[in-house]
Amino acid sequence: MRPTTLGLARVAYLLVAALLTATLLPRLGVPGHAMPDLVLIGVVSTAVLRGPLHGAIVGLAAGWVALLIPPVGSPIGLTALVMMTGGAAAGAFRSPSSRSVLRPLAALLVATVVVQAGRLAAAALAEGSAAPAGQLGIVATTMVVGLVALPVFLAADRALVRRRLG
Amino acid sequence: MQQRVGRRLLGGLLALTLALLVADLAGSPVATAVRRGAATVVGPVQRVLSAAPRDELARLEAENVRLRAAAAAQAEEQAGLNRLQPLLDADVAAKHPLIVARVVATGLSAVGGRRLTLDAGSRDGIAVDSTVVAVEGLVGRVVAVAPFTCDVQVLGSAGAVVGVRVGAAGELATVGSPTAADPVARPRGTLALTFVHPGRPAAGDLVRTLGSIDDTPYAAGLLVGTVTALDPEQDSSRSLGTVTRTGTVRPAVDPDTIDVVGVLVPRPRTLPRTPVPPHTASNAAPTTAPKTAAPKPAPRKAAPNTVGPKGAR
Repeated sequence: MRPTTLGLARVAYLLVAALLTATLLPRLGVPGHAMPDLVLIGVVSTAVLRGPLHGAIVGLAAGWVALLIPPVGSPIGLTALVMMTGGAAAGAFRSPSSRSVLRPLAALLVATVVVQAGRLAAAALAEGSAAPAGQLGIVATTMVVGLVALPVFLAADRALVRRRLG
Repeated sequence: MQQRVGRRLLGGLLALTLALLVADLAGSPVATAVRRGAATVVGPVQRVLSAAPRDELARLEAENVRLRAAAAAQAEEQAGLNRLQPLLDADVAAKHPLIVARVVATGLSAVGGRRLTLDAGSRDGIAVDSTVVAVEGLVGRVVAVAPFTCDVQVLGSAGAVVGVRVGAAGELATVGSPTAADPVARPRGTLALTFVHPGRPAAGDLVRTLGSIDDTPYAAGLLVGTVTALDPEQDSSRSLGTVTRTGTVRPAVDPDTIDVVGVLVPRPRTLPRTPVPPHTASNAAPTTAPKTAAPKPAPRKAAPNTVGPKGAR
């Protein structure tokens, strides 16, 4: 399988998004309970065009990228599994004939809720208690960023596929 | 056809993920190797990203920005040093080589609890189970080390239990994360205190570490926090030996605002302890000074390791 421009762009975006979320954004003062899930937005943008199987694969791979940025939590792999579920959930929203703007956003909402539910369960395991309010903040900021970024990503994806670069 | 390749790919990745998940839960060295590898590759990038951003303006303006940034960095360095000075002056730091580090990333994991990544690693001499302190008090301990970075398990994570002395009397207790088995619900961000014997603690008592052999993973005498509340006694008759008190401790260090920290590098003791000559024992000062566990360097050095926590071992 030859690496395509779309594939390379996808990998680059996931790496940058994971590094931003772990290192740069907290440094710039973005609080943890309002951190947009940039990695998940990338996963949803490709999953919603290609279906649950593709979404699960990309989600799993993206989860690994996000996971391997230190601090590497334990157990290793849990984030990847949660992200895979989120990607598969977003993929279920695929509809080749639909060009609706709302459909990808609904997919993002469902995927974010799935991922945050997984994180909430993990946090409850880790600290004995969990604060769902913080998770709601993440869902909200992810939706706001997704509202802007998702249409752009989808348009770029479609354009690259049309020019046979995907 | 493509579906089948995809399904096979997903199956392979999933099997690999589950295998690593189980290996990590079982404490396999493979998981440690994966952590170390990831930190070795990504650590330098994180260190670069955490530095001050470069500005690409016109030349003079860039120079101006650079100088301002340098001044700001100097000021921040100075502020960091000022904040660090009490730590360096403290009794604990005097006994250990101290490595100053900054937090470059934070994370919350399902089993390991809250973790921090510091911008110092094995190349700086940091080893697993080193104590991590901030100026306010104990932060946690190092649980994983890579060449350029290390991961810190913050106090209050599940599984992090610290032996402590409470109050002026120095009653023995343990501090850990609140669990579902606690008799009362504790506020988020606080720690659970459990005495090992029926003591007479009071709210407002300071909680300091008891210390471990060779000061790993926790050095002695570090401030952990303050007792904010004591749980009501389960038995009002107070029959001795059956009831131990429990309480709530507010940690001295807020894990969300940690920036500059010091890592105490463990150094095994090589010199034998010198016995105290008989005539100094009549001064009565050494019998009370170590019990308070207050950071007063002078009395401790006058009577090295006679009755203090480390003398018990």
